[in-house]
Amino acid sequence: MTTFTRRRTLQLAGAGALALATPAIAAKRKITVGALRFTSHSASFVALERGYFADVGLDVEFKFFQAAQPMAVAIASKDIDYAVTAISGGLVSLAQKGAIKVIGGALSEEKGIDGQKILASNDAHAAGLTSPAALDGKTWAVTQAGSSFHYMGSKISAAEGATLKYKPLQKVGAIIGALKSSQVDAWSIVPHIAKGLGGAGAVQIIGDVADYIPNYQVTTVFTSADNAANERAATEGFVKAFSAGAADFNAALVDKTAGDGTDMVKLVHKYVYADREFAKAEKSIRAGSMRINQGAALNVTSVEDQLNWFKSEGLVDGDITLDTLLDTSYVETA
Amino acid sequence: MDIHLSNISHRYDATEVMRDISLEIPSSRILCIVGPSGCGKSTLLRIIGGLERPSAGEVGQIGDPPEGCLNPLTYVFQDFALLPWRTVEGNISLVLEDHGIDGAKKQSIIADVLARTKLSDFAKALPKQLSGGMKQRVAIARALVVNPAVMLMDEPLSALDSQTRELLMDDLIALWTRTPFTAVYVTHNLAEAVRLGHQIVVLSRRPGEIREIVEIDKPLSERTFGDPDLEAPQRHLWDLMREEARAADAELIHV
Amino acid sequence: MSEPRPVSFRGGGFAPKSVRWIGAVVFIALIAVAEIGTQTGWISALTLPKPSDVLDTFVQLYQSGLLWKHLTPSLTRLLVGALLGVSVGISVGVLIGLFSYIRSGLVPLVAAIFPIPKIALLPLFVIWFGIDEGSKYALIAFGTFTPTVVATYGAVDNVDRTLIRMGQSFGLSWWSIVRKIVLPGAMPGILSGLRISLAIAIILLVAAEMLGAEYGIGAYILEAGSLYDLERLFVGVAILSLLGIGVSAAIGAIERYLLRWRN
Repeated sequence: MTTFTRRRTLQLAGAGALALATPAIAAKRKITVGALRFTSHSASFVALERGYFADVGLDVEFKFFQAAQPMAVAIASKDIDYAVTAISGGLVSLAQKGAIKVIGGALSEEKGIDGQKILASNDAHAAGLTSPAALDGKTWAVTQAGSSFHYMGSKISAAEGATLKYKPLQKVGAIIGALKSSQVDAWSIVPHIAKGLGGAGAVQIIGDVADYIPNYQVTTVFTSADNAANERAATEGFVKAFSAGAADFNAALVDKTAGDGTDMVKLVHKYVYADREFAKAEKSIRAGSMRINQGAALNVTSVEDQLNWFKSEGLVDGDITLDTLLDTSYVETA
Repeated sequence: MDIHLSNISHRYDATEVMRDISLEIPSSRILCIVGPSGCGKSTLLRIIGGLERPSAGEVGQIGDPPEGCLNPLTYVFQDFALLPWRTVEGNISLVLEDHGIDGAKKQSIIADVLARTKLSDFAKALPKQLSGGMKQRVAIARALVVNPAVMLMDEPLSALDSQTRELLMDDLIALWTRTPFTAVYVTHNLAEAVRLGHQIVVLSRRPGEIREIVEIDKPLSERTFGDPDLEAPQRHLWDLMREEARAADAELIHV
Repeated sequence: MSEPRPVSFRGGGFAPKSVRWIGAVVFIALIAVAEIGTQTGWISALTLPKPSDVLDTFVQLYQSGLLWKHLTPSLTRLLVGALLGVSVGISVGVLIGLFSYIRSGLVPLVAAIFPIPKIALLPLFVIWFGIDEGSKYALIAFGTFTPTVVATYGAVDNVDRTLIRMGQSFGLSWWSIVRKIVLPGAMPGILSGLRISLAIAIILLVAAEMLGAEYGIGAYILEAGSLYDLERLFVGVAILSLLGIGVSAAIGAIERYLLRWRN
């Protein structure tokens, strides 16, 4: 622990220097970044397309995944260097085993910006599930125990004094199918999927997650513990480029201060919904644009709340501390 | 009950197996059928018992089967056809169960037939524990238990060694002498034919036709091993068959 | 005449026998290596859990009563699903073995269904049979059905035809022949098919519990996997292995009883 603190002090000094001048990284360093083809992963896409990674001397290759969970395992196995995903029980367990560290924040819930929605199946809605207050005794879809869906369901039901039955369905696709056919009653999901389903009348939107979990740090930036501790320059470079990408993305599609954002949608469309025609994809991309934290700042309070919830549910070891999970030397924290 | 065969012909696709066979099978006598291999002896037996349909001709029953007969036409197979998962008792029980014979009545019938065939000590044995001769005794007991009008015996002794064969022939003769039964006995062994047959039908090679019917008058019980009286008929049979057998042996097999 | 030379023996080998204790020794040695490796840090915590921790986790699972909470639904699913699949499979297999039209109609169908990974159909089963027990039973039943059918009709084909002719020659009814000759004759083949079917049932148990199962050994394993909780993962896997050994032993016992006429 003492060595850690000493190194951290040095690292903080280095971070100060970075703010003043771009570090002179001689050779381009090859790194692999894990990503899902979701709008919420756009900061990395922007950083690559607009050359921010190249500016900090990183030669980035993307590796695409179908789900967040395997990305955490891929970081642990050193198949990828950096990734963005929700904090899950698996992520915490891997951090406990000394494999990974969370180094920054990405997606956040914010009042006033369209965030994650609470959904009810049509049958459940017809039977009276018209607001989260009626959730008691209902079934709640999750991918896995310990997933962000489980966390949201738990927080929402706690706030409403409701008891939920959790149905693990492994994949988002399976959940959508089960919800459409009213096999499960309720779920929460990012806005573009929620609006897509709600708009088609396949499900009913009954509330906002932000009302129950304000300032919810939905996804985080993470890397291997080895990178966080020993690859200072590359990691700082990644955070810097990622932040620049996030800033462009927020300006274009969240704050809408950079024109109509069509350029940004075109950029994102290369990675997300690439199999759909542009006009259709544009709608989904715009609808799914949530704020990516400025400077990849991390909401430690929210992360702590999530960690405590995992512990209270017995999903992770009770001895895990916030320090085991986080390396806060790279970004601003709140 | 007599069996009457009229103009039986049979063919498998292009191969003519037998041609125009007409025959009387008188009751309480043993009729042997001999012939070179491939002459359709076994096929003829299956036709008589209704296990195969002849291409032409008819098999008729004359008169009614005797009182208490459960299965008028009953086979004894060359390879015994015993169910390996049933005991000796169970194998005999099998053919009674379907006729609604059960409980004590069944047990006494089985005990009786086992005693007749000298198998009482083996009632609980499984087929795998028995020698070939014992297995065939069980098969014969199973055939006798249904009081058949006609026993159809398909080379019943061919799978046995020669000593066992002699023993079983003696047993068959003893059984027939006690209660004469009707039997059609197919064999390629001429010694068996002259020991057991009242009448011996000689078939030609394929397509099988009746060459000759040989009668042997000496009572079964008086025929013995190496009986000089049987030498002449056996030689006569062999003379009839030699050329046929040689030709049949040289034929290519079409399968 | 020269001096006789001894004929050298050349008939050895090619007759493996199973030596009882070797299997146990291999097991114990592997576990010992894992324990020592993880204790000394030569095997990292990320690679393998400590066997002693796994045992500890199992004991906790047992003491907390959760073991039965997970095992009971899984065993029920296995039992109901396998019973459905196997009994329908044997019936269909016998029918294919006995009737030309059914054979011609169903053999290609079974051949088409056999290679489908049943897991792929799980979402469909959820729509057809509901997300609760129905879809789980259906998946396991479907998975055991096809190998049972194939094993059964193969076994019926191999029943000695002379025994069937014998039954006919004694005037046995059709049903008697099926019950007393065809089924017992096909039993060895059916039982060895059952070994495969039931192993598949255990494999499918995990798949079946992917959708909508809160409790169950499969759900427990999946949860442990997603939490990257290696101790629990290994406990779950060990339970499945034990289940497999148990099923295999049970079939062995059934074989020894039903096929005692064979040895």
